[in-house]
Amino acid sequence: MSRLVKKSPSVCTDLPLSSSDVCNKLHLMKEFLRSSYGPTARLKQVHNNIGGSVVTSSTSSVLLQAIASSQPIISLIRSSILNHVSRFSDCGLFAAVFCLCLLEQAGQCGLRKNVMIKVNKHLLALCTGYLQQEDCGCKVKLDFCSSQSLITLARSVISSKPTCVLTEPESDHISRLAVQAFLLTVPCNIPDTVRLGRTVTITIEGHSVLKSAVFPGLLLSMPESLCFDSLCSPLHVVLFSISLAGDLSEIGDGRIEMHQGVDVDSQILDQLLELGKQVLKDGVKLFLCQKVIHPVLQHYLRCNGVIVIERLGVSLMEPLIQLTGAQPVATLHATIPSTVYGKVHNVCIRQFGCKTLLHLHPAGESAICSMILCHRNETMLNELKLVCQTTEHVLGLTLREPFALLGGGCTETHLAAYVRHKSKNEVSESTSVLGCSQTEYLLAADAFCRSLELVATSLEHDGGTSLIDLTHAHHWTLPSDVTEEHLEGVMAPCGCGVVESCQNKTRSYLDTKYAGFSPAPLLTASPLQATVLDSFTAKVNALGVAVETANLVLDVRYVIQDVN
Amino acid sequence: SVWVMLESVIINSRQHVGLQKVSALAGRFRSSIGPIKNYKFIQDEVSRESVLVCSCFRIIENLEPTCAVGQLVYETVQAHHKGYRSGSGCLLFLAGAWSRTALDCLQRGIAVTHIIKAMSEGIDICLDVCKKSSVLFKDIAVMHKRTATPRDLGLQLSEEAITDASQEAANVHDKCLNMSGQRRVKLSRHFYEAKSEMLSSALLPDLLELPDVAVLADSLSHGCEDAMKLAVEAVQMLSKMNQQDISDPSFDISKVQTCVLPGLPEDCACVVEGCVFLLSDEQARVAHRIKQQPLKVALVTGDLSQTYRHLGFKSLSGVGVCEHLDLSASSKEDEWLEKVVNRLLNLKVNLILTAGLASQKVIQHCCRHHILVVEKVNSSVLRIIASSTGAVPVSYATQLAEPCVGNGINVEIWRDLSSYERESSTAVNISNGRNGGLVTAVITSCIHGKLQALEDQFWACAYRLHHALKDRALLPGAGGTEVLCVHQLQKQAEYHRVEDSKTGSAANLYRGLVLQLMADGLIDYISAVMVSTGRFSAAEARTIVSKQLQDFHKDEIIAGRFLESRREDAVFSAGKPDEALTVKIYDNLSVKQEAWRKALDLVFLVLQTDAEIITGTGQRAEENLMRL
Repeated sequence: MSRLVKKSPSVCTDLPLSSSDVCNKLHLMKEFLRSSYGPTARLKQVHNNIGGSVVTSSTSSVLLQAIASSQPIISLIRSSILNHVSRFSDCGLFAAVFCLCLLEQAGQCGLRKNVMIKVNKHLLALCTGYLQQEDCGCKVKLDFCSSQSLITLARSVISSKPTCVLTEPESDHISRLAVQAFLLTVPCNIPDTVRLGRTVTITIEGHSVLKSAVFPGLLLSMPESLCFDSLCSPLHVVLFSISLAGDLSEIGDGRIEMHQGVDVDSQILDQLLELGKQVLKDGVKLFLCQKVIHPVLQHYLRCNGVIVIERLGVSLMEPLIQLTGAQPVATLHATIPSTVYGKVHNVCIRQFGCKTLLHLHPAGESAICSMILCHRNETMLNELKLVCQTTEHVLGLTLREPFALLGGGCTETHLAAYVRHKSKNEVSESTSVLGCSQTEYLLAADAFCRSLELVATSLEHDGGTSLIDLTHAHHWTLPSDVTEEHLEGVMAPCGCGVVESCQNKTRSYLDTKYAGFSPAPLLTASPLQATVLDSFTAKVNALGVAVETANLVLDVRYVIQDVN
Repeated sequence: SVWVMLESVIINSRQHVGLQKVSALAGRFRSSIGPIKNYKFIQDEVSRESVLVCSCFRIIENLEPTCAVGQLVYETVQAHHKGYRSGSGCLLFLAGAWSRTALDCLQRGIAVTHIIKAMSEGIDICLDVCKKSSVLFKDIAVMHKRTATPRDLGLQLSEEAITDASQEAANVHDKCLNMSGQRRVKLSRHFYEAKSEMLSSALLPDLLELPDVAVLADSLSHGCEDAMKLAVEAVQMLSKMNQQDISDPSFDISKVQTCVLPGLPEDCACVVEGCVFLLSDEQARVAHRIKQQPLKVALVTGDLSQTYRHLGFKSLSGVGVCEHLDLSASSKEDEWLEKVVNRLLNLKVNLILTAGLASQKVIQHCCRHHILVVEKVNSSVLRIIASSTGAVPVSYATQLAEPCVGNGINVEIWRDLSSYERESSTAVNISNGRNGGLVTAVITSCIHGKLQALEDQFWACAYRLHHALKDRALLPGAGGTEVLCVHQLQKQAEYHRVEDSKTGSAANLYRGLVLQLMADGLIDYISAVMVSTGRFSAAEARTIVSKQLQDFHKDEIIAGRFLESRREDAVFSAGKPDEALTVKIYDNLSVKQEAWRKALDLVFLVLQTDAEIITGTGQRAEENLMRL
């Protein structure tokens, strides 16, 4: 007898942003992510409390992945930022903190939501327009003739994650490696469309970071120590994407009828050995498979001088195809056409700590390289791997738009000063277009600029105070243990390192109101030598994602939840 | 659902919960560090089961910390133990001590970034001290010569003979000097051995610089003399078997196995060539029949059964057979067994080692044909036997063919244990006695609960020798290195203080303080080790250490004469007092450096962490818990 359970009606919440529960949760999320932002961030431990492994991180992808919430508003922001991160890898925390600050400021200034939305949209366009301008004061053109600015960009990304616990020489080493790896993935002979190669990362725990290295070609983990005779170059390669385990797992579900006395296993094995015979006849010396290879086939091939590697995993398939030019074979029931074979120049064995790796050297031009990352412990190594992958992506994005933004909070304060100045000067034009009062417009613009400045302030976690200079509108930090009279003597350059402290400038605390001014661009003969640079493409997109997500949340009138 | 535990509120009041947890956890190991270890019982409240533990690693393993910080500590210790097998106590203690350093700094209002910067400087100073004060092998050889007496050399040579020998050695060395162009008068006891004349003079300069493994072992036993004796035997047996180049001694730990035999008294422990397995009566009868003759061996990595399939093989679930006249499963198995045994007989294989399991039926069937089946063989053992006998391991017994079979392996009856009323009653020794083989340390005890600790001690000693031979240098032991580090840290702290008062800048104010607090952590470590010997009170220990720091003599410490005035108390040696007088105590260079580095890395990670995210469901009623 079936029992009927009465379905509870859906719960509808009116104006979710005015509910204190939602506001508290948004505030918690903001404080949580804000404290994870920047190179001196506080780290978070992610664990399941029943003995699972503990992940320590301050990376947006890890943190946002972990904080699943039952509150739809939170989930909306979370998935929106995660989507940005999956596309650009960088500036996830910037987008999240900016978005949450916008929401909080919007709540505080008490304006109508539709006015906020309209002004936010308008100011976003103002910002992106300014950032695309040739004479934008917080943008640096990347010089590809020298690797210096690329290394600076890489180092800014790498040193933004304190979980890596890197010393200065260590972050320099990793930054140089990241740029070296990036340059290896840029193909030399450019066809119609430029397609970047890949960097395959291999991690080795328990060694010094300075032992990390980059190699052209691919390094594959070897299951056991293996010796092979010197092989003549080039070596023919066959690559299988199906399982050669000798089972019928590839045929899918369903019932199979077979005659009595038929030994399926041995028949498939015969088929596999037949395959082995063919590749031997075709002179294959390297037999690679994404999945499992039947031990009998492995044994047969090894006895005949073939190097066999199984269980490569799906992530290595694409780099292998690019490196060897082989086409992955997905059947074992047909003879293999000779066109699917690829080749490598030669192979050698490299030993790193406890790992034995087979190094495949490409036969021709190839944009595949391998990066060996070493660190003393697993937690730091995991974060280092993540941050290196982000760097690879960020460097790749510079090919599309060869710019970088000044880091260290300077872009944020500069943009805020620019928007304040612009919005004040063009208030009448803007209000007529947007259809709101001047007071409303100025209040909303202030909320927008405050949010940008709050993101810059979020870089400080040790009780220091944020300042802005009233000339270039760069971001400065006053450490908590430095007294006012020592200020000039000890104050370091601005956040991005472009403006020196010795220049006589008036500064204002970021949380106080300062008179509007047009931030002056830096007039120097040589190109700007920033010490901290941010990804231009990622940050511009993050800016857009933050404002649009905030607008979307502001626009939510009802939340309807199915509670069954 | 997700719980976010925000501790930021607590951090503001300068009470870092994470660091407090590390400090509290480490405090539980205070009495377990140092060479003198007492056994501890750990009892499970629920099951009432208890284990006898001795080392810090086993204690934390059995405590099973569940909180995030505790787990991070455990993971760190586990990673260290995997590579070094000793130094876990040192790691834990310093993680706790330096957590308190960080807490202290936070309470004084020093920013986290500054703490990290200053503590990094501190560890750099310590690691630099280690590098500079490490004693190279050649110096140990010289020192040993200087202090050696015939008694502790273990050689029956008269005083005169030694003088002669050293004279002779010096002469030889004079000749070498011209060749190498360097003036090094280093002597080694290798010279007194009869083999010395067989060595070519070109090898001599190197050889002169190497102390004997036994000398190293005395200095590194740290209270585990019996275990160290076994480890030395293992080194010597391995180098003899593999005809190792004596100018380049090393200790390949992967060629050492342990076999734990409960029931036998502890003095039965020994090292044997090859490996040792326990066999049932039935298997033992076969072993008796095939013993003492070169055998052919087959190696199987999978289970010895008809139904076994290799890893990654997915059996079909939806297979139907059209006609239901299928052979029964048992007859299929019989058919397979017949096939395998026939193949083994054809190949004249008498010994089959498998990494997997073998069913009783297979073992019995093979026994009937005088084929000895040994199951559950470690796969690294299989690999070593494969390389030394020429056998090729296969996954399935049906795969065996002539080229896979190895030759020249021997089975010996090692000991009949039937008087101890055991299920498996005979221990056999399987070896080939040729190049590339392995050795097994047999660990015995009448008390079952002690076996784990004894095995751990053996591995700790073996790894110490392994790392010593790898590093080619040792650190002054018995707290000497720590005192040197404390001295250097205090010197640097003082320097920062002076600099500060000169320049009047407040920016460096914290640096001297942090270094001083780090030094205090090390002092705490030295005194805790002294207290755990049971011979000093905490106050006495601190007095001795601070006195040492006052009349600081670096050279004496490096020469291993730290705390010499107190030697009669055998401060750091668990050995007899008269031994303690002659044996210098050393520590492993890489083990100590790695333990310190790991301890500080742990502190850094915890210090920088301010919140936990707890994923998954489960209600928790804790404070500071907020739900997202």
